[in-house]
Amino acid sequence: MEFMQAKSAREALEALLKARGQAVLLAGGTDLMVNIQEGKAHPQVMIDINTAADMKGIRLEGEELVIGAAATLSEIDQDPLVVKYFPSLAKAASTVGSLQIRNLATLTGNVMTAQPAADGAMALAPLEPRFAVLSEEGERLVPMAQMYAGFGKTALDQSKELVKEIRIPLPHLGEAAAFTRLELRKSLSLPMLNTAAMLKMEQGVIAWARITMGPVGVGPVRATEAEAFLQGKPLTRENAAEAGRLALKNAKPRSNPLRGSKEYREEVLPVLVRRTLEDIGAQLGVL
Amino acid sequence: MALLTVTVNGEKMSVEVNPDLRLVDFLRDELQLTGTKIGCGKGECGACTVIMNGKAVTSCLVPVMRAEGAVIQTIEGVAHKGKLHPLQEEFINKGAIQCGFCTPGMIMSAKALLDHNSNPTREEIKEALGGNICRCTGYAKIEEAVLAAAARLREGGGDL
Repeated sequence: MEFMQAKSAREALEALLKARGQAVLLAGGTDLMVNIQEGKAHPQVMIDINTAADMKGIRLEGEELVIGAAATLSEIDQDPLVVKYFPSLAKAASTVGSLQIRNLATLTGNVMTAQPAADGAMALAPLEPRFAVLSEEGERLVPMAQMYAGFGKTALDQSKELVKEIRIPLPHLGEAAAFTRLELRKSLSLPMLNTAAMLKMEQGVIAWARITMGPVGVGPVRATEAEAFLQGKPLTRENAAEAGRLALKNAKPRSNPLRGSKEYREEVLPVLVRRTLEDIGAQLGVL
Repeated sequence: MALLTVTVNGEKMSVEVNPDLRLVDFLRDELQLTGTKIGCGKGECGACTVIMNGKAVTSCLVPVMRAEGAVIQTIEGVAHKGKLHPLQEEFINKGAIQCGFCTPGMIMSAKALLDHNSNPTREEIKEALGGNICRCTGYAKIEEAVLAAAARLREGGGDL
Protein backbone atom coordinates (compact mmCIF):
# COMPACT_ATOMS: atom_id res chain seq x y z
CA MET A 1 0.00 0.00 0.00
CA GLU A 2 1.09 3.51 -0.78
CA PHE A 3 0.53 6.18 1.89
CA MET A 4 0.06 9.79 0.93
CA GLN A 5 -0.31 12.84 3.14
CA ALA A 6 -2.62 15.34 1.47
CA LYS A 7 -1.73 18.96 2.12
CA SER A 8 -5.15 20.23 1.02
CA ALA A 9 -8.62 18.98 0.15
CA ARG A 10 -7.84 19.62 -3.51
CA GLU A 11 -4.67 17.51 -3.30
CA ALA A 12 -6.64 14.71 -1.59
CA LEU A 13 -9.25 14.80 -4.36
CA GLU A 14 -6.59 14.70 -7.09
CA ALA A 15 -4.96 11.67 -5.49
CA LEU A 16 -8.37 10.01 -5.15
CA LEU A 17 -9.22 10.55 -8.81
CA LYS A 18 -5.79 9.38 -9.94
CA ALA A 19 -6.19 6.08 -8.06
CA ARG A 20 -9.42 5.25 -9.93
CA GLY A 21 -11.26 3.54 -7.09
CA GLN A 22 -8.18 1.93 -5.50
CA ALA A 23 -7.68 4.59 -2.83
CA VAL A 24 -9.30 5.29 0.52
CA LEU A 25 -9.29 8.47 2.55
CA LEU A 26 -7.93 8.23 6.07
CA ALA A 27 -9.80 10.51 8.46
CA GLY A 28 -10.11 8.94 11.93
CA GLY A 29 -9.48 5.46 10.60
CA THR A 30 -11.34 3.88 13.51
CA ASP A 31 -13.59 1.90 11.15
CA LEU A 32 -11.22 1.74 8.18
CA MET A 33 -8.39 0.14 10.15
CA VAL A 34 -10.72 -2.55 11.50
CA ASN A 35 -12.04 -3.23 7.99
CA ILE A 36 -8.51 -3.62 6.65
CA GLN A 37 -7.57 -5.87 9.56
CA GLU A 38 -10.62 -8.05 8.91
CA GLY A 39 -9.87 -8.25 5.19
CA LYS A 40 -12.95 -6.24 4.20
CA ALA A 41 -10.93 -3.41 2.65
CA HIS A 42 -7.82 -3.71 0.49
CA PRO A 43 -6.76 -0.19 -0.46
CA GLN A 44 -3.75 0.25 -2.72
CA VAL A 45 -3.44 3.89 -1.71
CA MET A 46 -4.28 5.54 1.61
CA ILE A 47 -4.76 9.31 1.50
CA ASP A 48 -4.36 10.97 4.89
CA ILE A 49 -6.59 14.04 5.16
CA ASN A 50 -5.40 14.88 8.68
CA THR A 51 -2.53 16.80 7.11
CA ALA A 52 -4.83 18.88 4.87
CA ALA A 53 -4.80 22.38 6.35
CA ASP A 54 -8.18 23.34 4.86
CA MET A 55 -9.93 20.26 6.29
CA LYS A 56 -8.95 20.90 9.91
CA GLY A 57 -10.51 22.82 12.75
CA ILE A 58 -13.80 24.44 13.66
CA ARG A 59 -14.67 28.04 12.86
CA LEU A 60 -17.49 30.54 12.43
CA GLU A 61 -18.10 31.78 8.93
CA GLY A 62 -20.92 34.29 8.58
CA GLU A 63 -24.06 32.65 9.91
CA GLU A 64 -22.59 29.15 9.88
CA LEU A 65 -20.43 26.97 12.08
CA VAL A 66 -17.93 25.13 9.89
CA ILE A 67 -16.50 21.82 11.09
CA GLY A 68 -13.58 20.52 9.01
CA ALA A 69 -13.79 16.93 7.83
CA ALA A 70 -10.62 16.13 9.80
CA ALA A 71 -11.93 17.63 13.09
CA THR A 72 -12.01 14.86 15.69
CA LEU A 73 -14.92 14.10 18.00
CA SER A 74 -12.69 15.15 20.95
CA GLU A 75 -12.05 18.52 19.34
CA ILE A 76 -15.78 18.90 18.72
CA ASP A 77 -16.94 17.99 22.22
CA GLN A 78 -14.46 20.46 23.77
CA ASP A 79 -14.78 23.27 21.25
CA PRO A 80 -16.15 26.51 22.80
CA LEU A 81 -18.12 27.37 19.64
CA VAL A 82 -19.79 23.95 19.48
CA VAL A 83 -20.52 24.00 23.21
CA LYS A 84 -22.01 27.50 22.90
CA TYR A 85 -24.17 27.05 19.80
CA PHE A 86 -24.79 23.31 19.63
CA PRO A 87 -24.45 21.76 23.10
CA SER A 88 -26.43 18.69 21.97
CA LEU A 89 -23.79 18.00 19.31
CA ALA A 90 -20.99 18.40 21.84
CA LYS A 91 -22.81 15.98 24.16
CA ALA A 92 -23.35 13.40 21.41
CA ALA A 93 -19.74 13.66 20.22
CA SER A 94 -18.58 12.95 23.77
CA THR A 95 -20.54 9.67 23.91
CA VAL A 96 -18.98 7.95 20.90
CA GLY A 97 -16.69 5.00 21.66
CA SER A 98 -14.01 5.92 24.17
CA LEU A 99 -11.64 8.84 24.61
CA GLN A 100 -8.95 7.05 22.57
CA ILE A 101 -11.46 6.57 19.75
CA ARG A 102 -12.72 10.16 19.94
CA ASN A 103 -9.13 11.43 19.79
CA LEU A 104 -8.94 9.87 16.32
CA ALA A 105 -12.48 9.61 14.93
CA THR A 106 -14.22 12.42 13.05
CA LEU A 107 -17.81 13.63 12.84
CA THR A 108 -17.68 13.46 9.05
CA GLY A 109 -16.61 9.83 9.32
CA ASN A 110 -19.52 9.21 11.66
CA VAL A 111 -21.81 10.28 8.81
CA MET A 112 -19.85 8.65 5.96
CA THR A 113 -19.84 5.20 7.57
CA ALA A 114 -23.66 5.54 7.60
CA GLN A 115 -24.32 3.38 10.64
CA PRO A 116 -27.90 3.81 11.88
CA ALA A 117 -26.99 4.40 15.55
CA ALA A 118 -24.11 6.85 15.04
CA ASP A 119 -24.40 9.34 17.91
CA GLY A 120 -22.58 12.22 16.24
CA ALA A 121 -24.64 11.92 13.07
CA MET A 122 -27.84 11.59 15.10
CA ALA A 123 -27.32 14.88 16.96
CA LEU A 124 -26.14 16.58 13.78
CA ALA A 125 -29.14 15.64 11.62
CA PRO A 126 -31.85 17.91 13.15
CA LEU A 127 -29.44 20.88 12.91
CA GLU A 128 -29.88 20.63 9.12
CA PRO A 129 -26.22 20.84 8.16
CA ARG A 130 -24.91 20.83 4.63
CA PHE A 131 -21.83 18.94 3.53
CA ALA A 132 -19.31 20.68 1.30
CA VAL A 133 -18.49 17.95 -1.22
CA LEU A 134 -15.55 18.25 -3.61
CA SER A 135 -15.53 16.47 -6.93
CA GLU A 136 -14.02 16.98 -10.36
CA GLU A 137 -16.95 19.29 -11.15
CA GLY A 138 -16.11 21.55 -8.21
CA GLU A 139 -17.71 22.07 -4.80
CA ARG A 140 -21.38 21.53 -3.99
CA LEU A 141 -23.42 21.59 -0.80
CA VAL A 142 -25.31 18.40 0.04
CA PRO A 143 -28.11 18.29 2.66
CA MET A 144 -27.71 15.57 5.28
CA ALA A 145 -30.75 13.58 4.13
CA GLN A 146 -28.99 13.03 0.79
CA MET A 147 -25.84 11.60 2.39
CA TYR A 148 -27.26 8.12 2.97
CA ALA A 149 -27.82 5.36 0.40
CA GLY A 150 -28.49 2.44 2.74
CA PHE A 151 -27.32 0.63 5.88
CA GLY A 152 -23.61 1.38 6.14
CA LYS A 153 -23.66 2.92 2.68
CA THR A 154 -22.98 6.54 1.87
CA ALA A 155 -24.61 8.20 -1.13
CA LEU A 156 -21.30 9.78 -2.14
CA ASP A 157 -19.09 8.11 -4.73
CA GLN A 158 -16.02 7.52 -2.59
CA SER A 159 -13.83 7.01 -5.64
CA LYS A 160 -14.59 10.49 -6.97
CA GLU A 161 -15.92 12.66 -4.16
CA LEU A 162 -14.89 13.78 -0.70
CA VAL A 163 -16.37 15.85 2.10
CA LYS A 164 -14.27 18.91 2.86
CA GLU A 165 -16.33 20.28 5.75
CA ILE A 166 -19.73 20.39 7.44
CA ARG A 167 -21.60 23.69 7.53
CA ILE A 168 -24.29 24.15 10.20
CA PRO A 169 -26.56 27.23 10.26
CA LEU A 170 -26.33 28.99 13.64
CA PRO A 171 -29.49 28.77 15.76
CA HIS A 172 -31.83 31.74 15.97
CA LEU A 173 -33.78 33.10 18.92
CA GLY A 174 -36.33 30.57 20.21
CA GLU A 175 -34.49 27.58 18.74
CA ALA A 176 -32.84 24.82 20.74
CA ALA A 177 -31.72 21.23 20.24
CA ALA A 178 -31.23 18.14 22.40
CA PHE A 179 -29.77 14.64 22.19
CA THR A 180 -30.70 11.58 24.27
CA ARG A 181 -29.13 8.14 24.30
CA LEU A 182 -29.89 4.85 26.02
CA GLU A 183 -26.97 2.51 26.55
CA LEU A 184 -25.95 -0.59 28.47
CA ARG A 185 -22.74 0.99 29.74
CA LYS A 186 -21.30 4.48 29.48
CA SER A 187 -18.11 3.76 27.56
CA LEU A 188 -17.36 1.77 24.45
CA SER A 189 -20.93 0.91 23.70
CA LEU A 190 -23.24 1.65 20.84
CA PRO A 191 -26.57 3.01 21.98
CA MET A 192 -29.63 0.77 22.26
CA LEU A 193 -31.49 3.78 20.92
CA ASN A 194 -30.66 7.42 20.37
CA THR A 195 -32.79 10.42 19.51
CA ALA A 196 -32.23 14.08 18.77
CA ALA A 197 -34.42 17.05 18.02
CA MET A 198 -34.40 20.73 17.26
CA LEU A 199 -37.38 23.05 17.35
CA LYS A 200 -38.36 26.67 17.22
CA MET A 201 -40.81 28.32 19.63
CA GLU A 202 -42.63 31.37 18.30
CA GLN A 203 -45.38 33.22 20.17
CA GLY A 204 -45.84 30.34 22.57
CA VAL A 205 -46.21 27.59 19.99
CA ILE A 206 -43.88 25.30 18.08
CA ALA A 207 -43.17 26.87 14.67
CA TRP A 208 -41.37 23.73 13.48
CA ALA A 209 -39.77 20.64 14.94
CA ARG A 210 -37.20 18.22 13.55
CA ILE A 211 -36.89 14.89 15.32
CA THR A 212 -34.38 12.17 14.42
CA MET A 213 -34.02 8.68 15.84
CA GLY A 214 -31.92 5.57 15.49
CA PRO A 215 -31.24 2.75 14.97
CA VAL A 216 -34.67 2.45 13.39
CA GLY A 217 -33.85 2.64 9.67
CA VAL A 218 -31.22 4.02 7.32
CA GLY A 219 -29.19 6.80 8.97
CA PRO A 220 -30.92 9.21 11.35
CA VAL A 221 -34.65 8.70 10.63
CA ARG A 222 -36.97 11.71 10.81
CA ALA A 223 -40.15 11.32 12.87
CA THR A 224 -42.25 13.21 10.36
CA GLU A 225 -45.63 12.31 11.91
CA ALA A 226 -44.54 13.58 15.30
CA GLU A 227 -43.05 16.71 13.72
CA ALA A 228 -46.32 17.50 11.92
CA PHE A 229 -48.32 16.91 15.11
CA LEU A 230 -46.19 19.37 17.11
CA GLN A 231 -46.39 22.21 14.61
CA GLY A 232 -48.54 25.05 15.91
CA LYS A 233 -48.95 23.50 19.37
CA PRO A 234 -47.47 24.59 22.70
CA LEU A 235 -44.60 22.50 24.04
CA THR A 236 -46.28 20.71 26.94
CA ARG A 237 -45.46 17.38 28.60
CA GLU A 238 -48.63 15.93 27.07
CA ASN A 239 -47.71 17.04 23.55
CA ALA A 240 -44.17 15.76 24.02
CA ALA A 241 -45.54 12.37 25.10
CA GLU A 242 -47.94 12.23 22.14
CA ALA A 243 -45.08 13.13 19.78
CA GLY A 244 -43.14 10.22 21.31
CA ARG A 245 -45.99 7.82 20.54
CA LEU A 246 -46.30 9.17 16.99
CA ALA A 247 -42.56 8.75 16.44
CA LEU A 248 -43.14 5.00 16.27
CA LYS A 249 -44.99 5.48 12.98
CA ASN A 250 -41.68 6.27 11.25
CA ALA A 251 -39.54 3.80 13.19
CA LYS A 252 -38.66 0.26 12.12
CA PRO A 253 -36.30 -1.00 14.80
CA ARG A 254 -34.74 -4.44 14.45
CA SER A 255 -33.92 -6.92 17.18
CA ASN A 256 -30.33 -6.95 18.34
CA PRO A 257 -28.98 -9.67 20.63
CA LEU A 258 -26.98 -7.14 22.67
CA ARG A 259 -28.83 -3.87 22.36
CA GLY A 260 -32.47 -4.70 22.68
CA SER A 261 -35.27 -6.51 20.90
CA LYS A 262 -37.58 -4.84 18.42
CA GLU A 263 -40.37 -4.98 21.03
CA TYR A 264 -38.22 -3.40 23.75
CA ARG A 265 -37.02 -0.66 21.47
CA GLU A 266 -40.60 0.13 20.46
CA GLU A 267 -41.55 0.47 24.13
CA VAL A 268 -38.65 2.76 24.94
CA LEU A 269 -38.41 4.96 21.84
CA PRO A 270 -41.48 7.09 22.73
CA VAL A 271 -39.94 7.78 26.14
CA LEU A 272 -36.65 8.91 24.64
CA VAL A 273 -38.38 11.21 22.16
CA ARG A 274 -40.47 12.70 24.98
CA ARG A 275 -37.37 13.28 27.11
CA THR A 276 -35.54 14.89 24.19
CA LEU A 277 -38.42 17.32 23.68
CA GLU A 278 -38.64 18.00 27.42
CA ASP A 279 -34.93 18.78 27.43
CA ILE A 280 -35.53 21.39 24.73
CA GLY A 281 -38.50 22.76 26.67
CA ALA A 282 -36.28 23.17 29.74
CA GLN A 283 -33.58 24.94 27.70
CA LEU A 284 -36.15 27.36 26.30
CA GLY A 285 -37.75 27.87 29.71
CA VAL A 286 -41.21 26.65 28.68
CA LEU A 287 -41.18 23.39 30.67
CA MET B 1 8.67 0.89 2.00
CA ALA B 2 8.35 4.49 3.13
CA LEU B 3 10.46 6.81 5.24
CA LEU B 4 8.98 7.61 8.64
CA THR B 5 10.34 10.32 10.90
CA VAL B 6 8.95 10.00 14.40
CA THR B 7 9.92 10.67 17.99
CA VAL B 8 9.39 7.69 20.31
CA ASN B 9 10.02 8.10 24.03
CA GLY B 10 12.16 11.16 23.38
CA GLU B 11 14.26 9.60 20.65
CA LYS B 12 13.85 11.07 17.19
CA MET B 13 14.35 8.56 14.42
CA SER B 14 14.02 8.21 10.65
CA VAL B 15 13.31 4.65 9.59
CA GLU B 16 12.16 2.75 6.54
CA VAL B 17 8.81 1.12 7.31
CA ASN B 18 6.19 -0.92 5.55
CA PRO B 19 3.24 1.50 5.31
CA ASP B 20 0.83 -1.43 5.74
CA LEU B 21 1.84 -1.69 9.40
CA ARG B 22 -0.21 -0.35 12.24
CA LEU B 23 1.53 1.86 14.77
CA VAL B 24 1.26 -0.94 17.35
CA ASP B 25 3.05 -3.39 15.00
CA PHE B 26 5.81 -0.87 14.40
CA LEU B 27 6.31 -0.30 18.13
CA ARG B 28 6.26 -3.97 19.05
CA ASP B 29 7.90 -5.67 16.09
CA GLU B 30 10.28 -3.04 14.71
CA LEU B 31 11.28 -1.22 17.89
CA GLN B 32 10.78 -4.21 20.22
CA LEU B 33 8.74 -2.02 22.56
CA THR B 34 6.51 -4.91 23.56
CA GLY B 35 5.12 -3.18 26.64
CA THR B 36 2.31 -1.95 24.40
CA LYS B 37 -0.10 -4.89 24.12
CA ILE B 38 -2.48 -6.03 21.40
CA GLY B 39 -5.81 -7.13 22.82
CA CYS B 40 -8.81 -6.91 20.52
CA GLY B 41 -7.16 -5.17 17.55
CA LYS B 42 -10.35 -3.14 17.07
CA GLY B 43 -9.95 -0.22 19.45
CA GLU B 44 -12.34 -1.73 21.96
CA CYS B 45 -10.04 -2.85 24.78
CA GLY B 46 -7.44 -0.11 25.17
CA ALA B 47 -4.47 -2.46 25.73
CA CYS B 48 -2.56 -0.82 22.87
CA THR B 49 -3.05 2.75 24.15
CA VAL B 50 -0.09 5.08 23.60
CA ILE B 51 0.18 8.86 23.79
CA MET B 52 0.47 10.50 20.37
CA ASN B 53 1.04 14.25 20.31
CA GLY B 54 -0.29 14.51 23.86
CA LYS B 55 -3.42 12.45 23.30
CA ALA B 56 -4.24 8.87 24.22
CA VAL B 57 -4.95 6.80 21.12
CA THR B 58 -5.41 3.10 20.43
CA SER B 59 -2.31 2.31 18.38
CA CYS B 60 -4.04 -0.59 16.62
CA LEU B 61 -6.20 1.97 14.79
CA VAL B 62 -3.33 4.18 13.65
CA PRO B 63 -1.58 3.41 10.35
CA VAL B 64 2.12 3.73 11.06
CA MET B 65 2.60 6.53 8.53
CA ARG B 66 0.03 8.64 10.33
CA ALA B 67 2.71 8.96 13.01
CA GLU B 68 4.90 10.93 10.58
CA GLY B 69 6.30 13.87 12.53
CA ALA B 70 4.48 12.78 15.69
CA VAL B 71 5.72 12.53 19.25
CA ILE B 72 4.84 9.12 20.67
CA GLN B 73 5.12 7.96 24.24
CA THR B 74 4.80 4.32 25.25
CA ILE B 75 4.90 2.60 28.63
CA GLU B 76 8.67 2.17 28.20
CA GLY B 77 9.06 5.96 28.22
CA VAL B 78 7.14 6.62 31.42
CA ALA B 79 9.85 5.83 33.97
CA HIS B 80 12.52 8.50 34.22
CA LYS B 81 16.20 7.58 34.61
CA GLY B 82 15.33 4.23 36.11
CA LYS B 83 12.84 5.71 38.56
CA LEU B 84 9.22 4.68 38.21
CA HIS B 85 6.60 7.34 37.55
CA PRO B 86 4.21 7.98 40.47
CA LEU B 87 1.47 6.31 38.40
CA GLN B 88 3.52 3.14 38.10
CA GLU B 89 4.39 3.18 41.80
CA GLU B 90 0.82 3.77 42.87
CA PHE B 91 -0.49 0.98 40.60
CA ILE B 92 1.87 -1.28 42.58
CA ASN B 93 1.08 0.24 45.99
CA LYS B 94 -2.69 0.07 45.53
CA GLY B 95 -2.77 -3.42 44.04
CA ALA B 96 -4.15 -2.05 40.79
CA ILE B 97 -2.41 -4.78 38.80
CA GLN B 98 -3.30 -8.44 38.62
CA CYS B 99 -2.49 -10.17 35.36
CA GLY B 100 -0.98 -6.94 34.06
CA PHE B 101 -2.06 -7.17 30.44
CA CYS B 102 -4.20 -4.03 30.55
CA THR B 103 -1.77 -2.12 32.75
CA PRO B 104 0.40 -0.41 30.11
CA GLY B 105 -2.72 0.90 28.36
CA MET B 106 -4.27 1.94 31.67
CA ILE B 107 -1.12 3.84 32.65
CA MET B 108 -0.89 5.60 29.29
CA SER B 109 -4.54 6.68 29.44
CA ALA B 110 -4.06 7.85 33.02
CA LYS B 111 -0.85 9.69 32.12
CA ALA B 112 -2.52 11.47 29.20
CA LEU B 113 -5.11 12.67 31.73
CA LEU B 114 -2.66 13.73 34.46
CA ASP B 115 -0.36 15.46 31.96
CA HIS B 116 -3.00 18.16 31.53
CA ASN B 117 -5.09 17.72 34.68
CA SER B 118 -3.23 16.98 37.88
CA ASN B 119 -6.37 17.24 40.01
CA PRO B 120 -8.95 15.03 38.30
CA THR B 121 -12.26 14.03 39.84
CA ARG B 122 -13.28 10.37 40.00
CA GLU B 123 -15.64 11.08 37.10
CA GLU B 124 -12.82 12.50 35.00
CA ILE B 125 -10.69 9.44 35.76
CA LYS B 126 -13.54 7.13 34.76
CA GLU B 127 -13.99 9.04 31.53
CA ALA B 128 -10.26 8.95 30.73
CA LEU B 129 -10.05 5.21 31.47
CA GLY B 130 -13.42 4.32 29.97
CA GLY B 131 -11.74 2.89 26.88
CA ASN B 132 -9.49 0.55 28.86
CA ILE B 133 -10.90 -2.79 29.86
CA CYS B 134 -9.56 -4.81 32.79
CA ARG B 135 -10.97 -8.22 33.58
CA CYS B 136 -9.13 -8.74 36.88
CA THR B 137 -9.18 -5.78 39.20
CA GLY B 138 -12.72 -4.43 39.12
CA TYR B 139 -11.36 -0.93 38.39
CA ALA B 140 -11.74 0.48 41.93
CA LYS B 141 -8.07 0.03 42.77
CA ILE B 142 -7.04 1.51 39.43
CA GLU B 143 -9.07 4.61 40.21
CA GLU B 144 -7.45 4.79 43.66
CA ALA B 145 -4.01 4.48 42.12
CA VAL B 146 -4.64 7.35 39.69
CA LEU B 147 -5.99 9.55 42.50
CA ALA B 148 -2.94 8.78 44.65
CA ALA B 149 -0.53 9.44 41.78
CA ALA B 150 -2.28 12.74 41.04
CA ALA B 151 -1.94 13.78 44.69
CA ARG B 152 1.79 13.02 44.61
CA LEU B 153 2.27 14.91 41.37
CA ARG B 154 0.52 17.97 42.87
CA GLU B 155 2.89 17.83 45.84
CA GLY B 156 5.79 17.83 43.41
CA GLY B 157 6.56 14.19 44.14
CA GLY B 158 6.59 13.35 40.50
CA ASP B 159 9.84 13.48 38.61
CA LEU B 160 8.53 14.01 35.08
